[in-house]
Order: sequence, then structure tokens, then C-alpha cells
Amino acid sequence: MKHTFAAVFGATMLIAPMALADSWQPERPMTMVIGFAPGGSTDIQGRVLARTLEEHFGQPVNVVNQPGGGGAVALTRFLNADPDGHTFMFGVMLGLTFSPIVTETEYDIDDFRYAGTLVGGQFGVVARGDAPYQSFEELVAHGKETPMTYAQQLPMDQAIMELIADQEGIDLAIVPTGGGGGMAPLLLGGEVDFAFSGGTHAQYTPTGEMNVLAFLTRERSPFYPDVPTLVELGYPYAMDDFRSFFLPGGTPDEIVQAFEDAARFAVEHEPFVEVTVENTLHPIVFMDAEETEATIRDIRTANEALMAN
Amino acid sequence: MDFSAVGAAAAEALTLASFIGIGGGVLLGYVVGVVPGLSRSVAISIAIPLTFYMSPYIAISFLIGLSKGTAAGSAVSAILLNAPGEASSAATALDGYPLAKQGKPKTALQVGLIASVMGDILATIILIFVAIPFARVALMFGPYEMAAILAFALVFIAGLSSGNVFKGLAAGGLGIFLGTIGLDNQTGLPRLTFGYTELMDGMPLIAVAIGTLALSEMFIQSEKLRYDRANMSVRLENRADDHITMPIFKRILPTIFRGTGIGTFVGALPGLGPSVGSFMSYGMAQKAAKQPELFGKGEPKGIAASESADNAVIPAALIPLFGLGIPGNVSAALLIGAFAIHGITVGPLLLRDNPELLYSIFAGMILASLIMLVLGWYGLMVFAQITRVPPHVVIPIVIFFCLAGMMLQGYGTFGLIILMAFALLGYLMKKYDYSFVTFLVAFIITPMLELNLRQSIILSRGNWEILLNRPIALFFIVCTLIALIALIIRTFQTDKAAAGAPVSE
Repeated sequence: MKHTFAAVFGATMLIAPMALADSWQPERPMTMVIGFAPGGSTDIQGRVLARTLEEHFGQPVNVVNQPGGGGAVALTRFLNADPDGHTFMFGVMLGLTFSPIVTETEYDIDDFRYAGTLVGGQFGVVARGDAPYQSFEELVAHGKETPMTYAQQLPMDQAIMELIADQEGIDLAIVPTGGGGGMAPLLLGGEVDFAFSGGTHAQYTPTGEMNVLAFLTRERSPFYPDVPTLVELGYPYAMDDFRSFFLPGGTPDEIVQAFEDAARFAVEHEPFVEVTVENTLHPIVFMDAEETEATIRDIRTANEALMAN
Repeated sequence: MDFSAVGAAAAEALTLASFIGIGGGVLLGYVVGVVPGLSRSVAISIAIPLTFYMSPYIAISFLIGLSKGTAAGSAVSAILLNAPGEASSAATALDGYPLAKQGKPKTALQVGLIASVMGDILATIILIFVAIPFARVALMFGPYEMAAILAFALVFIAGLSSGNVFKGLAAGGLGIFLGTIGLDNQTGLPRLTFGYTELMDGMPLIAVAIGTLALSEMFIQSEKLRYDRANMSVRLENRADDHITMPIFKRILPTIFRGTGIGTFVGALPGLGPSVGSFMSYGMAQKAAKQPELFGKGEPKGIAASESADNAVIPAALIPLFGLGIPGNVSAALLIGAFAIHGITVGPLLLRDNPELLYSIFAGMILASLIMLVLGWYGLMVFAQITRVPPHVVIPIVIFFCLAGMMLQGYGTFGLIILMAFALLGYLMKKYDYSFVTFLVAFIITPMLELNLRQSIILSRGNWEILLNRPIALFFIVCTLIALIALIIRTFQTDKAAAGAPVSE
């Protein structure tokens, strides 16, 4: 796959439009919008992805950060972008699958087009490595005896934990953390018993300082093949997120197709894969345009059901 | 410590490429620091892509050099223009600008530079030899301790603004109120955003800081340009006595040591940041001084206190980063991203897996401080020439940089409107003698205070007795109460004094 694509790509470089003559090509420098501040994992992946896309499209790709509201600010501004393929977003799904449920957003899922997924999330529940419970079952057993504390990051993971605590009869106090950076000191300092982790755990599990007890995602993480998901443990709750290309609403099919091809190229491209997997510790997950949109709608429905409780 | 690794590290630190890289970082940072409107975090995030083409060691040292440069450079605009380049240098302006107006701009700049460099080097040495093995101590500061320290910082810094205490309360209250805007960090529901997605993450800090500190000052100066031209700006008179002397240096030395200590403490605790450090240090210096009434009128100790703490925060913020993988402030968080781009996972594993790199970075940090001393020393001769540029040229340029800096933030026109609103607010506060320092510090501290207080209340399940097992928190709560009582007593005394003196305002 990689080789055929590289060959096709090489050919287009040499003899101008031939193999891709009928597919869309950018005519001028492109802008990639990232809905988070520089330095976070989305930004790091996005900046390397921009260079991968320069190679793929043969045009410079400028990265623009529009942080705020977990991607909601960038999505709101993205409503006004021209649907000509020169402005696109490398976005996380939360702004679509979650924000519109709790706040009044100016946009909704139908306002954009979705052109392919590149990166998967790895939401999990973590505890200290030296905690008296080494698995989620042991944690539940422990919780039936003693009151426990949990550090949340999103209202959704809080909702899931409240449901489980109710079901199992755990006396659970839930504190906000203000993000992964705030979670680590609370957990490592022994202030809370267990916590939600959006990916922060990756740098603490190799030293044994943290243990992932369960994943909230639908599927197990490839990096922790032995850790079960909540669904496998018998709790019918899941929380997923993926990083995909978003395009303005009304973007023609051929441009969506071109970005789907670009996503296919990127997930095989060494520098992007390396930074995603080894440095930011996220799994590479490819989905085509259709599957990406279907996944967004699925997760949204699941989140709505969860938050309705 | 592994000495062969240290030797190899020193060798790498002394190559020509690293001199150019780190020197470039410090110079760039210095310029960014000088220019009001361009802020440290923006500079780092813009510079990260530049480092793609450098070796990991040079890249990281370049970025750390850049942060250090901004902390030193921001003193220049604070002293010469009364328009601090960073919020953390607002305390520097309190004495730096009066001293410069008294015809001693060079002395003020030199005191600021020496304090910056010394605070920086001392804190770097603490980072290298003491802090990393003891980084875990930072974990003893849980939500109870942080909430207590933040409450103390708020009351203590509010107490600094000497004027009317009720005006101080009003300014602080407004800061607290504006600090609560944004998504609630537990429920994710918006508070006071009035439907503006841009406000979901709160009032943009940069707009508030640039608006109240730099832009409003330009309004004030434009007004002076119209009515009070003769007496408005700092003039470079080339007076023979306008340079730092040995007696001045000896006088400020204890202040620098104290400032470094405070800056290191504040930097090592995740979340507090350089503004809290510089104002705490300024306040402590004033309390410790034999003649506290000189503060605010051009006291070199005030400049030294603020600048040494401001610079000490930067290396100290790397203590939790290298020791625990937890960033001490925004700039340190950006560094995690820079490390990741270069294939390095920052945190406790760094010392085990990559000791050469870590020691190289330390060597680079010391090198950056020394380069900063040299660049700053000659640079301030150049920057002092700013005072020769007529104000009607300087003011529009500064206003331009403030607006351009805001645009760089990516908030668009909305950001400019917010910036203008805060510039107007800052102008009115300065005009009617409300403390904009209290306002700004309250605004910066409130979100952290809220989060930690909330965590404490939930985790303790509302049980006060838990504080008895938390001596550090208890200590700071007692300090807060003492500061509060002192403030109330002072209010009554000023009231009496005001009542005694007939019509004088």
C-alpha cells in the first residue's frame, strides 16, 4: 500500500498531473486549523502532520491554533471557512460529540464534512502503581469497604463513574482537575484514589508509578493489551474520541476524497506515525470519510444517552 | 552524578553551534520581552517549529534561553516606558520607572539585569543540585496547601497597594469576578460567557494583561503628551552617577537572595507562575526593608526583588517538569511539546534514559544566563537610546505591537475588542487610583484558587479537622489571617488619619 502510493506520488511529482489528473489538487498554500493551544498532543501531531501533507499535496501547510472550549472556538470560526479545500481542520471529535450537548453551540454535526480519521484516543481509569488494588475489580471491592475519591476531567467520565458507584454501592467523592496536567500531582501525591486519564498515564506507566485499571474506550489499547475495557467488565458505558480531518460544510466530494487519500498517506508515513505512537503515545487508527462521520454520530448518540442520566 | 556524562555534556554545551543557538534564543527572547504585547508563551509557541531543524539539546536550550531572555527583557520596557512587557515585570515598573524618571535609567536597567541574571543562575544551580532528587516534595503540596498559599498570595499582594483599602477591595473583587468567567471545570457548563464561544476558556489572560498594563499606559502617556509634555518621559542625561555602584550592589544583594528563594519556591509549585513570584518577592522586600516608604519611589531593592524572583521562576518551573513530568507553568507546558517533537518524553525517565541530554541542557541553561548577562549589558546601552526617541513616535509603535501581539493569539477581532475594553478599564483604574496590580493578580489567581478550594472541600467532605493533619496549609491559613487583620487595622488607621486631616483628599 505504502509503496504503490509512494510510486503514484513520485510519478505525479515528475510528470505533473497524470495519475491524479482527475483528483483534486490544492492550488495555493493551505491552512490547517488546530483547536488547541500549541504544545499539547493534538498540536504536536498536527505540526508533524502538516509536514506530511506538504509532501503529499506539494503545497505549504500553515498551522493555525485557535484554542478554547475543547475545540468549540475553532469549530465556530470554521463555519465561515471557504469550502475549497484550502482550509481544513485537524480536530478532535469531542467538540461535536460532547460540547453541543452541554452548551448552546452555533454549529452542529451537519455543518461540516468529515474526511478521514488518523489517530485514536485512549481514555482510561488509572490508579497509583502502589495502590492496594491492581485491577478494576479489586478497586470496586475496595470501594465497597471504604469511601473513595476520584479525579474527573470531563462531565462524561464523571457520569460513568457515578453510574458505576451507584450500581456497586461505592461512596465516591468526585473532584475536578482542570486537565491531565492537574491529574498527575493529585494522583501521585495520594490526594485521590483513582483518576480519569486522557493519555497522561503513558509517561507514568513505564516507571510503574501509575497503573491503567480499565479503558473507557470501546476497544482495548494496543499499548496495554492486557487491560480490559469497562464494557468487557460488564459496565455498558464507553467514551471514545478520534482525531480526524474536518472540512467546511458544502465541500465537494472530490475534495473530501482527496483528504481521505491524504489521511491514508499520513497513517503510513513514518515521521507522523513515529511522533503519534512514540512521542505522544496515541494509537494510529484509520477510518475513511463515511466511517468517520458514522462514528461521530454514534458517539454523539451514546454521549446523549449517558448525559441524560 | 555520572561524571563522564557531565564531561560529555559540557563538551557539547561549548560548541559553536550551541553558542549560536542559545545566543539566538536569548536575543530573541530579550527582544520579545522588551516589546510590550509579545508574550513569552506566544514566543515559545512560535519558535517551536524553528527548532525542528536543531539537535534536541540545542532546541531545548534555545527555548529555555528564550524564556530566560523574555524575563530579563521585560524589565526594560517596564523601567523605560512604564509598560511592562510581561505581567511578571509589572512589579519592576513600580520602582524602575520612578528611578528612571529621576535621571537614572541606566542604574535601574543595570540593577534589573544583575538581579535577573543572579536569580536565574542561582535558581538553575538549585535545579541541578538540589531539586530533581527532591522534586517529590512538590507532591506534599496538595489542593489544601495550594488553596492556602493562593489565598495568602491574594491577600498579601492586595495589601501591597497602599492606597484606599476599599478601592483595593473593589479592584480585587472585579479581578475575582472576571476570573470566574468560562466553562465550569467540573460540569463543563459555561459561566457568564453570554454565548461567546471565545469566552469558554475564560477572559483571555493576554488581553487582560496587555490591556491593563501596556496599552492603558500608552493612553495615559498620550494624554500627558497633550497636557504635560515637559515632564512626561524618561530622559537619558548621561549623568556620571548613572550606573550601578558597589554600595548599591551590596544593598540589593540580600534582596536578590530572598527574591531567588521566593521565585524558586513559587516556580517549583505547579501552577503559581512568575507573576505571583515577582509580586510576593516585592512585597516581602518591602516588609523586610528598614525604610519601606521608599518603595514605589525608585528604590533599587524593589527592582531587584521583582526581577530576581521573575527570573528564578523559569528554571524552578523545570523542577517538577524534570522530576515528575508535571509542568510548573504555561511555558514549561509548551516545553513538553517541544521535547516530544524531538522524540524525548520528559519526566522522571529523562534522568535515567538520557542523562547526557539532561546535563547538556543544564550546561546550556548556565550558558544562556551568561550570554544574557553580556547581551543585556551591551543591549541596555542600545535600549537606553529608546529614551531619545520622542514619545509621539514611541507611543504609536507600542500600541501597534500591543494590537499585533493580540492578533497573534488567534482570537481575531474579538480579541482586539476585549483588549481595548481592558485598556480602557486600566486607564480608568490608573486615573482614579484603583490598584490595577491587585486587579490583575486577583484575576490570575482566581481560577487556580477556585479549583484547589473546590478540590479541598470535596476531598475533605467538608470536614475542617483535616487541616490539623496539614501543617503547611494551616501555616499559610494563619499567615493569611494575620495579613487580613493587618490590612483591616491599617484601614482604620488611615480612616482616622483622614478624619483628622480636614479637607485634604
